[in-house]
Amino acid sequence: MSIVQLFEVAIACDVVLCCRVAPLQKAGIVDLIKKRTSDMTLAIGDGANDVSMIQMADVGIGISGQEGRQAVMASDFAMGQFRFLVPLLLVHGHWNYQRMSYMILYNFYRNATFVFVLFWYVLYTGYTLSTAINEWSSVLYSVVYTSAPTVIVAILDKDLSRRTLLKYPQLYGAGQREESYNLRLFIFIMVDSVWQSVVVFFIPYLAYKNSAIDSASLGDLWTLSVVILVNIHLAMDVIRWTWITHAVIWGSIVATWICVIIIDSIPTLPGFWAIYEVMGTALFWALLLAVIVVGMIPHFAAKAIREHFMPNDIQIAREMEKSQDSRDANQPEVQMSTSTRA
Amino acid sequence: MNSGDAAGSSSGGSGDAGAPRRASRKPKYSKFTQQELPACKPILTPKWVISVFLLVGVIFVPIGVASLLASNKVVEIVDRYDDACVPSNVTNKLAYIQNSTISKTCRRTLKVPKDMKQPIFVYYQLNNFYQNHRRYVKSRNDQQLRDASKANETTLCDPEKTRDGMAIVPCGLIAWSTFNDTYTFQHNTNNLSIDKTDISWKSDRDHKFGSDVFPKNFQKGPLIGGKTLNESIPLSEQEDLIVWMRTAALPTFRKLYGRIYVDLKENDTITVTLDNNYNTYSFDGKKSLVLSTSTWLGGKNDFLGLAYLTVGGLCFFLAFAFTLLYLIKPRLVAYKLSYTNRIKFHR
Repeated sequence: MSIVQLFEVAIACDVVLCCRVAPLQKAGIVDLIKKRTSDMTLAIGDGANDVSMIQMADVGIGISGQEGRQAVMASDFAMGQFRFLVPLLLVHGHWNYQRMSYMILYNFYRNATFVFVLFWYVLYTGYTLSTAINEWSSVLYSVVYTSAPTVIVAILDKDLSRRTLLKYPQLYGAGQREESYNLRLFIFIMVDSVWQSVVVFFIPYLAYKNSAIDSASLGDLWTLSVVILVNIHLAMDVIRWTWITHAVIWGSIVATWICVIIIDSIPTLPGFWAIYEVMGTALFWALLLAVIVVGMIPHFAAKAIREHFMPNDIQIAREMEKSQDSRDANQPEVQMSTSTRA
Repeated sequence: MNSGDAAGSSSGGSGDAGAPRRASRKPKYSKFTQQELPACKPILTPKWVISVFLLVGVIFVPIGVASLLASNKVVEIVDRYDDACVPSNVTNKLAYIQNSTISKTCRRTLKVPKDMKQPIFVYYQLNNFYQNHRRYVKSRNDQQLRDASKANETTLCDPEKTRDGMAIVPCGLIAWSTFNDTYTFQHNTNNLSIDKTDISWKSDRDHKFGSDVFPKNFQKGPLIGGKTLNESIPLSEQEDLIVWMRTAALPTFRKLYGRIYVDLKENDTITVTLDNNYNTYSFDGKKSLVLSTSTWLGGKNDFLGLAYLTVGGLCFFLAFAFTLLYLIKPRLVAYKLSYTNRIKFHR
């Protein structure tokens, strides 16, 4: 039988058993599938004879135990027992996919919104690269103002509980169908980013058009608006609120405010005292509120429509969890039952 | 491989019940590392969606109405004079404005449309003047402005750095181009005094412009860009300069010229005698004189009120639309189901 025929028979089956296979042939079988399809391959093994197979696969898992640590040293993930493969894929694999997808999209959005605001301003400075936003704020934006919430949500947010994911392995299909990171979602979030930057720039522009506003005050308004907007956007998308999530999201907004005040209290910087002057005007607060609400309306409306009228599996499972006892959140170990070894 | 029973621990593969208890290799349990922190998991229900939209509408519409009322209470007189103040027989406006021998005095008559209560703010407004141009914004030296000992610091002030080998104080294009039209007012044939103190930010006067720094070597070149400064008045008291050096964010802007502490009645006549010195003719700029009262919202600003009313109205509409949608296309929300095996999954 030629290799192509072997491949065609293999993919027509649900399960294929190969026995008396040499180490190089194990790698060959993984390679057979890898070369001819675009699917992800995973290899799991515990002995030295599994090393080439583990290295050939996209995801290699080594079991440390009876047969030494050879497989572990060659692998991407190491575990204690074979049965841990199920939570690794269904629980941690699922969570990892959801978190990574959201974080990539969110990071693009967060930075694009900030930069687009500066871009709109260029149209009104005679096409020169003046930025009304203080240089220190520009640097601190990525480092202090919006970084901690991103990191904490990427680490701690879980869309579904461990028990639900193990009970319904079909939920794993969300990752295989690329439901959380695809071109459509990327375009939506970029459009949202452009909309919010338009709101942040043009609403104050139309209000301050013939007034005595100076660059530093306008820049402070933009800085605060963008930081509050991106954090509220994140807050709307967070699924599990722990005390740490609350602390970083609201804390970042407070920290931004404090930093802007400190920066504007340094006499050697050009924007000296601008924040105090502008915070004393009612127009500043009215604009801040207007910008935040108008920026958030499309995202909120889209979320409401999507989650109620076009729910995906994960949304339905989330709603289902609400009706169950939430004991799974406190159980460190999950009791394995034969029914989940599907 | 024998993986032990269901409740097995993760300490290697040993299932021997009689062996001495091995030290567990399980990592120390903490709620944070096991990701089991107590959490709340809110879900966006129809009730929440409609409530949020209604709440926004309820907050925004009154603010919009209040803003519009405040803006309507503001009385504003705007008089563009750069075209009218050039005599009609002049064809080359640029040459006219640059000719320092011709007198540029001009008289304008303004009519007060409604009662104006003091304090009345006098502004000059410039259109198409890019104070936010990068090259322009950078052209200053803050150390020199603040500290008399740093008078020779002129970095970044190109091209207005030195004249005849000596440093210019204050250096830079911003100071060089200070607005120099002047206005005097008469109210129904009485002289109207204008208060030109405290028009700049106190923080600028105290911390950015030194009280021992005096203008030196200023506007001595062939090209006069704007105001000449009195060399015996320190920079912290040159308020017109300080106001001008707070560069405006947008190409159409106003700057405070002074305040009038007299009430003006409807149909009063204000005669303005102004010196049309400033050159906006080489770049199609416009100059206007503005007299305005102010409210809690500041000057005249219809946009804010209209924006708030629009957003409030939009939110009420969205609340109504969502209510309709939820009634027309209801979905059995999954957390109302008691049996989870009714869930059908995506194929």
